[in-house]
Amino acid sequence: MSEGVEPSTDAPRTTGLGELTRVGASELAGTLASMWAEGGFRMLVDLFGSDTGEGIEITYHLRDVGSGREAGVRCAVPYDGEVPSVWERFPAALYPERELAEMFGVRLVGHPNPKRLLTTDEIDGFPLRKDATLREHSELARPGIRRGGGGGA
Amino acid sequence: MSDPGRDIVGALAALALMLTNGVVLIYMLRKVLGRFHLRLGPMRVGWRGLLQTPMDVVKLLTKEDFEPAMTDKWVFRLAPLVVFVPSFAAYLPLAFSPTLRFAGLETGALFILTALAIIPVGVLMAGWASNSKWSLLGGMRATAQQIAYEVPLLLALVGPVMLAGSLDMTEIVLSQQGAWLGVLPRWYVIPQFGAFVLFFIAALAELNQTPFDMSVAESELVEGFANEYSGMKFAFFFLAEFSNSFIIAALMVTLFFGGWLVPFVDPGLTAPIAPVVFLVKVYLVIFVLMWIRATLPRIRIDQLLAFGWKGMIPFGLLWILSTGLVMKLAEVTG
Amino acid sequence: MPERRSHSMPEALPGSIPAEGAVVASRLPVGLRRVPRGVDELATEHLVVNMGPQHPSTHGVLHILLELDGEEVIAAEASLGYLHRGIEKLAESRRYNQITTLVDRADYASGIHSEWAYALAVEELLGIEAPPKAQWIRALMGEINRLASHLLWYGTFGLDSGAMGPFLYCMRDREALLDILETVTGQRMMFNYVRPGGVAMDLPPEAEPMIRKFVAGFPRALSEFHDLITGNEIIQARIKGIGTIDAQTALAFGMTGGCLRGAGVPWDVRTAKPYGPYQQLDFSVPLGTVGDTWDRYMVRMEEMEQSLRMVGQLLEGIPEGEHMAKVPKVLRPPAGEAYACVESPRGELGIHLVSDGSDTPARMRMRSPALYNLSVIDEVLPGCLIADVVVIVGSLDIVLGEIDR
Repeated sequence: MSEGVEPSTDAPRTTGLGELTRVGASELAGTLASMWAEGGFRMLVDLFGSDTGEGIEITYHLRDVGSGREAGVRCAVPYDGEVPSVWERFPAALYPERELAEMFGVRLVGHPNPKRLLTTDEIDGFPLRKDATLREHSELARPGIRRGGGGGA
Repeated sequence: MSDPGRDIVGALAALALMLTNGVVLIYMLRKVLGRFHLRLGPMRVGWRGLLQTPMDVVKLLTKEDFEPAMTDKWVFRLAPLVVFVPSFAAYLPLAFSPTLRFAGLETGALFILTALAIIPVGVLMAGWASNSKWSLLGGMRATAQQIAYEVPLLLALVGPVMLAGSLDMTEIVLSQQGAWLGVLPRWYVIPQFGAFVLFFIAALAELNQTPFDMSVAESELVEGFANEYSGMKFAFFFLAEFSNSFIIAALMVTLFFGGWLVPFVDPGLTAPIAPVVFLVKVYLVIFVLMWIRATLPRIRIDQLLAFGWKGMIPFGLLWILSTGLVMKLAEVTG
Repeated sequence: MPERRSHSMPEALPGSIPAEGAVVASRLPVGLRRVPRGVDELATEHLVVNMGPQHPSTHGVLHILLELDGEEVIAAEASLGYLHRGIEKLAESRRYNQITTLVDRADYASGIHSEWAYALAVEELLGIEAPPKAQWIRALMGEINRLASHLLWYGTFGLDSGAMGPFLYCMRDREALLDILETVTGQRMMFNYVRPGGVAMDLPPEAEPMIRKFVAGFPRALSEFHDLITGNEIIQARIKGIGTIDAQTALAFGMTGGCLRGAGVPWDVRTAKPYGPYQQLDFSVPLGTVGDTWDRYMVRMEEMEQSLRMVGQLLEGIPEGEHMAKVPKVLRPPAGEAYACVESPRGELGIHLVSDGSDTPARMRMRSPALYNLSVIDEVLPGCLIADVVVIVGSLDIVLGEIDR
């Protein structure tokens, strides 16, 4: 077994998403509609976002269950940008889009139920963005809580 | 007829029996259910958990008895009594031996059913007054169920009563003495098997017992109509549930299993131990009820009501007709 | 401070623009009967009740809002997040070998599968493969975990329908499985056993007789379970024809696992995108026909039998070799991304891992099968009675840990 430092030199490593298409937010609906209609990709396997530092990159992982083909569509959206909901083609997107909106701060357009999914109203900010940092022990310290190495709080 | 002192002693004895029953039955339920479920049941409090129920009673007595805000105060407080008192009243006609019973009632069987019929009112009061949507749903379901199954219960009762010729509990038991051909006891479960099945199923529904406990043990209802009750008020509901099962089991034993009669033995001989025989039979029936509770799943409320109104009532009516026909034919042919 | 209401619903996300009015029926996606708009809080003639988050059914902290017209459900909405622990965010600040303990806590009823998916994703990034012995051990533990998870589902399904007995009987068998898992991995539930490169420890010698004993005794228990629930007419009346999710609806909502196969779609990751030793094993994938609760129930019961078969085969066929490939202590996969999926008891569990070349991932996304399975409730519950709600949700076999992450 290799040391695991260099990737194997045969076929270029795929992302596991199959063929990846990059589109802008305005072409998103059209691309997905044509993949549903002509490509036969009827199943949305997953929908998630990722903070690339310049914006939010949304990935749509599609699959044609009959043939087993997979495809990916990626759409880059600026922070606080708008993204159209694709629920009318892929109702599986209903919950993941809500999670995307609350975690990354993109704005959904055309979603029938655009509420938070996993967080409460009282949080501020968008947790999965890179500038939202996890808190350290020292930040949680307040009078009455023991400070100092390890133990305490 | 009967002097007031004797009546008071009878009533107190009935109350004592009801309370003792409650304690014993709760323990029995937990142990029986435990054994069926590969568990032991209560084991710690007292020897093998025998003191568990008395301690639970003490706990309930000392619990904070709070009422949720915005309940209908007096309806909320009266509901446990409306459930408890008829259940207590139904003990009175029971016949434990040829001479031992709390009150002599010629219409005993009917009286018991009438008392049980008041209980749905209390359930509805509890569900309504709790000011909670789930309690309301539970209360309405329980009432619908209990009302729907009172009619089959009554119809099932008519068969044995026709054969006995009387509603008095003692008379019904005495008419079951002897045996056919010296082999089969004359218990009404044999000639009135259809009525027995009807009675058994209707009894399960009246008691809100699995498989008919939709209104109570729904996986999210928790306690149904009694959700918001705590402390002694809750104890009343709980106790009434167990005393109802005793009453129904006692009625079943009286009507179908010969009451305090021991088969093939002259009733005069067994008179001293008749109450014991009666109690043993009643507890056996309750054991079967608990067995069913431990095993079977629940029927849905609409399936339950449909079965009651469309299945059991026609069957009950047919059964009564055929019983009457057979009796008349037997009379005519001599 | 918002005024107190009898049920809690979050506000709409700021800046979002809801769908225009009522979507015309002809524009409804294939397989849907209605717009999944959730519960309408302003409809005063209907009763809005909370089912959960506390309730005696052990699905986890599940909170469903039901809009009722008497006993009939008009709309249903899942209010999630009670078990949200930020696993995906935490993963971005943990080293690759620390993340195993995060993912196996997501779907706590089938930890081996979550760890396996994660290990496969890391191995794909590293460009390595686990040694054959490790793959067989992973499959063996995975099938044992699948049996344990299905037993838990079976017990809670019985409990939901009112039968208390089967719950304790299945716990008896599940304890035997958890004892096996504890002997092999050291833990009953959060194993931290399947790691990138192989498994943490080899099978101890005490494990084999325990597994053999279980395999010998389980068929009898399984027939007992069939007697108790499958053959029971009350159950059959309650679950046949209820909660029908046909193939189109199931695919539209992204459902996988027993829910999808109950509808007749033959998608099982073990046969469609094989991983581990599954190509060398002899097993069949049970399928339903109509997609009602009965079909989903029978599919999972059959899967238990098939898992038992596989456990027997796996035990016989473990090859010799190493249980762990040579991986460095601190994993630094080269920049890239990988998506690896496994067939967990709930469906297709996938981990999408993005690496930037450092020792912590840039993004870890967990594709939770139960989330997609649960999203169908606003489509399938309207029209049912409350009693059916419990049974349908039970048949979806969800674990809140992986839904909320």
